[in-house]
Amino acid sequence: MRIAFFLVLTIVGALGATAAAAVGAPPALLGVALVVAFLGLACAAGAAAVALHAPDDLREPREPHGPTAPTPLPDDGISRPAFGRLWLAALGAFGVLGLVPLISLARKPGRRVITGWRSGVRLVDENNRPIARDRLVDGSIETVFPQGGVGLAEGSAVLIRVDAELLRVAGEGGAADGYVAFSKICTHAGCPVAIYRHASHELYCPCHQSRFDVLHGARNISGPAPRPLPQLALDVDAQGYLVARGDFGAPVGPDDWDRFS
Amino acid sequence: MIVPRVVRWLDDRLGTNAGARYLLAKIYPDHWSFYLGEFALYFFVTLVGTGIWLTFAFDPSPQGAYASVLTLADRAHPIGYMMRQIHHWSAVCFVAAILVHMGRIFFTGAFRRPREINWMIGFSMLALASFTGFTGYSLPNDLLSGTGIRISQSIALSIPFVGTWAASIFNGGDSYPGPLLFPHLYTLHVYYLPVTLGALIGLHLTLLIYQKHTQFERDPKHVVGRRFWPDYALRTIAVFGATLAALALLATLIEINPIENFGPYQPWLAANGSVPDWYTAFLEGALRLGPATEFHIFGHPIPPVFWPGLVLPTLTMGLLLLWPFIEKRLTGDGAAHDVLDVPTQVPLRVAVGAALIFEGILLTLAAADDQTAMTLHLRLESLVWWYRILFAVGPLVVGWIAWRVAAEMRARIVESAVYPSDVTTLVRTEEGGFEEEEPQPA
Ligand code: FES
Repeated sequence: MRIAFFLVLTIVGALGATAAAAVGAPPALLGVALVVAFLGLACAAGAAAVALHAPDDLREPREPHGPTAPTPLPDDGISRPAFGRLWLAALGAFGVLGLVPLISLARKPGRRVITGWRSGVRLVDENNRPIARDRLVDGSIETVFPQGGVGLAEGSAVLIRVDAELLRVAGEGGAADGYVAFSKICTHAGCPVAIYRHASHELYCPCHQSRFDVLHGARNISGPAPRPLPQLALDVDAQGYLVARGDFGAPVGPDDWDRFS
Repeated sequence: MIVPRVVRWLDDRLGTNAGARYLLAKIYPDHWSFYLGEFALYFFVTLVGTGIWLTFAFDPSPQGAYASVLTLADRAHPIGYMMRQIHHWSAVCFVAAILVHMGRIFFTGAFRRPREINWMIGFSMLALASFTGFTGYSLPNDLLSGTGIRISQSIALSIPFVGTWAASIFNGGDSYPGPLLFPHLYTLHVYYLPVTLGALIGLHLTLLIYQKHTQFERDPKHVVGRRFWPDYALRTIAVFGATLAALALLATLIEINPIENFGPYQPWLAANGSVPDWYTAFLEGALRLGPATEFHIFGHPIPPVFWPGLVLPTLTMGLLLLWPFIEKRLTGDGAAHDVLDVPTQVPLRVAVGAALIFEGILLTLAAADDQTAMTLHLRLESLVWWYRILFAVGPLVVGWIAWRVAAEMRARIVESAVYPSDVTTLVRTEEGGFEEEEPQPA
């Protein structure tokens, strides 16, 4: 009786879900119908299992464990002098051959990192507009790219305006007009460093909380990043727009085996 | 009736009746904890079912992926919404079910001879399931998953000698994100990984049936339990229904991975307050606790992500994968066991298990160290140091306590003579006879 009730519930739920889907009912309704259907099924099967009253201590012998007696292969005359090692070596040779297609998929070591920065290239924002020298106020930041390279991951940099006097005192050489710029790609695992705390002049990586001191060349002051964010030395061109003095001062992003130092 | 006719038709051609009767009449031991693996199985079945549907609704190209998942995340399309929600919930539950099931196997010693192979297959499936989950999580190319991919890319690059090669194979180019990164993730997620998992599940179950299930009943010469038909057939239907009901309920109540809130991935944008799928959080925590030092070997850098991102997981996985053999070495117990241990029976095992669980929880917690520091008004740096100290000392302390407790409990149980001392193992000798194996000290 109980089993029948649950099975009817299953049918109602399944057909209800079908109807809900057919009329485009919200997911919640569809979901509830599905829950009813599957719960009905579970309860029906569970109730049936309980109703069975089958014995639960039936016994079936287990085979004993341990190695079985060796049955020698029929002597075919060639198994013995079969050059076992040589067969293995032949197999190994194919293994070596198999490395060829695998390695052919890889590119030559040495990651190609295109930052897009050269001396005299203008800084632009996400919409490709050049950055005039009065663009930012003290304490604000902007994501910048090399002109013509908007969206280049390795070229993205964070531009920060700080008090020019503070920079002078700190001996910051790559600054121009109170602006400093650093690669946005964290030297730890490549996350974008996006948070700036003006009070402490720190850049902050949201992934594993590395902090970088903006007044001192984005030196890594805490967290797992192994080295400073590469700096982009800045200048102001004749039209009053910010330009780069060259590429980043250090390789962008996390290091790897093939990046010599 | 159609069923008997089909059965007869098949038997006529393939002679299937004897085999079917054998399988249906087979006896399996009963215990609630033996159903944990079944839950994992049904999560996998659900993943395949919903996954096949999703391949027809999803655009795997990096440009189109996010938009097509947005459509699936839209409640205006209830079927797509439920499919994706159930799929994702099922994925996180799948890994959880495997872990809990493995915990049961571990603490009851079900991995011991002759079942080491099935333990290793099961462990491989845990690793594969996590990796499959990660690739699937990455496919929508939203801001959160894009960041995860970028981090894993950095970890791949950190491998000595072959890092750049491996990363370039995966990327299909020597820059990030390479032109083939997403096609590779997609193929892995919908083809190689699930097919491998399916094959391993088949092998796992075949071995389980062939070797016969372990049991708590102290009768090593017999399997004691119920028949598959009708007992377990009904029970497994109940487990299947319960699994799907739970998934439908979760999908209805809690929206998982709401990518519509994250936005598409842009390499220069950061995801804030990001929550990865739970089973990857321990890696994230390890990366946060890792040292900032970068070694150089003949001018080649070993980046800091190498230690927490690769060495730590590899060592842990190696320890777990080879545990049956390590335990055999340490306890000297090389006998075959069909009767399960009470979890406290081998204090060494309890200690190692407890220490590993402690490390897992600690690293997972460390993945949220910034929020924790904020809530507790601690300096993040000091919290990180506390976590580092706990990471080094904690497992020793936890392991020692677990050892003591287990030893104590075992002593009490032995006193009350719950463990009979007359359990023996029969060994077939080379001549085909049987011999009793020396009783092992517990
Ligand atoms: S990626 Fe910046 S701290 Fe890890």
